[in-house]
Amino acid sequence: MPLIELKSVSKIYPLGSQQVIAVDDLSLSIEAGEFTVLAGPSGSGKTTLLNLIGCLDEPSRGEVWLDGQEVGGAPQPQLAKLRLRKIGFIFQSYNLIPVLTAAENAEFTLMLMGVPKSRRRQRVVELFAELGLAGLEERKPSDLSGGQQQRVAIARAMASQPAVVLADEPTASLDSQASEELLALMRRLNREQGATFVFSSHDPLVISRAQRVVTLRDGRLESDR
Amino acid sequence: MDLVLLAWKNLWRSRRRTLITLIALSFSLMLVQAFHNLSYGVYSAMIDSGVRAGSGHLVVYHQDYVASRDEQFSFAPGQLREQLSALAGVAEVLPRLYLPGLAQSSRESRGILLTGVIPQAEQRVNPFLRDLPTDQQLESLSGRQAILGSRLLKELQLKIGNKFVVTLQNASGDLVSEMFRVRGAVQTGIKTIDSSLLMVGHQRAAALAGLPGEIHELAIVLQSQKFERLVFPALQQLLKNHPQQVGLSWEEAMPNLANAIRLDYASQKFIFIILLLIVTIGVVNTLLMSVMERFREFGVILAVGASAMRLRLLVFSEALLLGLVSMLLGSALGSLATWYLQEVGINLRYFIDETLEFGGVVFDPVLRAAWDRPYMLQIAGFMLLLSLAAAVYPAIKAGRIKPAEAMRHH
Repeated sequence: MPLIELKSVSKIYPLGSQQVIAVDDLSLSIEAGEFTVLAGPSGSGKTTLLNLIGCLDEPSRGEVWLDGQEVGGAPQPQLAKLRLRKIGFIFQSYNLIPVLTAAENAEFTLMLMGVPKSRRRQRVVELFAELGLAGLEERKPSDLSGGQQQRVAIARAMASQPAVVLADEPTASLDSQASEELLALMRRLNREQGATFVFSSHDPLVISRAQRVVTLRDGRLESDR
Repeated sequence: MDLVLLAWKNLWRSRRRTLITLIALSFSLMLVQAFHNLSYGVYSAMIDSGVRAGSGHLVVYHQDYVASRDEQFSFAPGQLREQLSALAGVAEVLPRLYLPGLAQSSRESRGILLTGVIPQAEQRVNPFLRDLPTDQQLESLSGRQAILGSRLLKELQLKIGNKFVVTLQNASGDLVSEMFRVRGAVQTGIKTIDSSLLMVGHQRAAALAGLPGEIHELAIVLQSQKFERLVFPALQQLLKNHPQQVGLSWEEAMPNLANAIRLDYASQKFIFIILLLIVTIGVVNTLLMSVMERFREFGVILAVGASAMRLRLLVFSEALLLGLVSMLLGSALGSLATWYLQEVGINLRYFIDETLEFGGVVFDPVLRAAWDRPYMLQIAGFMLLLSLAAAVYPAIKAGRIKPAEAMRHH
């Protein structure tokens, strides 16, 4: 059974009196442990597709299955629980909480899960060591470089050991060297910890490192290789 | 706990805005507490002075005397005075006889209210008599000495030591006269009292009126007003053996003063509520701005797995902390202001020359606060509730954020 399965999914947004089809009758399966990139130009529907997989948005038509569970029309509190336990998010502009330290940001999802502070901190120390962030635990996001902030975002996404990590243009705000390092890091986590990664990106560097590239155009599946 | 910590950190994102809101909340609470305590102090002093010079904290009358004030409705107190004096919290029990009549000097005549009292007992509690020099105090229950209101003394063109005649109708309906000598004069500041008061020993007044052993009023002065709750039921119990008599509280016996205080408290409450509501609107604004500024961040928090309820709780926690800090700071400032107003007070003599009268009672021109701690606590709690109420709309707004939309927001 695939970890993620989309069956004839469409997402239509109203825009004034018109309708914009962001995803059009798309079917896709992603197995556990894959390192997949959703590629395509701007406006091709990559972010919308990630939002649908991440239970942040509901499909207008079709079905979205995550870890054997249909998530399409589930109520919000249930979707919040699902996101908390099964999905890790990495965003383009890091989106760390500025008033929290790097460690507090990383343990945020564990805090939401009600994990005791000592266990949270232990997990974060381990992750920080693995991600090359040791010693930066008490720094505020504003005191970290872009690459370091994105690694803290990865730590936040990985802390709860989710079934899938969704990353929306994770290298868009980074220079090429930081992008390279970040990709290597995520690939290592994918291999060593078996975490499933699904990216959206139009960065050739990201696409070249992917195990599977799903290309979208105008909301439709153009290629899958 | 973690949510509270995050709320606390969030509060200080915009340090200036939070400080301004905190100052507004604390300052309003200080104003409300300090000004209430000032009114409370002034009214307590007025009530104390009013009950000591007037009808007491509690009073016993013949049931028909209350409405008619007809001197024929007197009563013999029997053992009532001794029984009441034995109750805990009772400072003094004062029997009084009130007889309307006419006072004549060699030059003038004036209508008076002859008041028969037990001089030593009155001197212990009546602030106007207490201030009189010893050689102007009444010495006996049956003597012919009299204390006059200052205005009456002047109108009768009398001086201390002068004689004058009092004429009144006795219990049989006959006119009787008796000569008295001016022993002293009191100035209460209340025109009607100063121009009609004529105080003599109770036995002398009762003998003149043909009402030996009778009184019209039994005024009970308590050690403090708080004893009213204990003594009033005991008085009602004792009066079961005196079916002709009724016991009243000072509010019933001095309705003018009680109503004036009630009215002033009501208008004060109205002003306080307006003030606190204005401040609450400020808090709504602060919280709403803070929510709108974090629209995208709230989207992220929701995306990583927080429920809408947790987000609402976060906004409420921020309001709760804002309210708690303001409560503590405002109460500290309110206590400091109360302490100052109690120790130093506000001297109205700088602004007004005349005697100050309120609800028929003269009050000290130096206004002093008194501690009303239960009210201070109540108003601080009310402010905390208002802070939470101010968070309702921002919290609803935060709970409605859609993560996908919020993250598109810049």
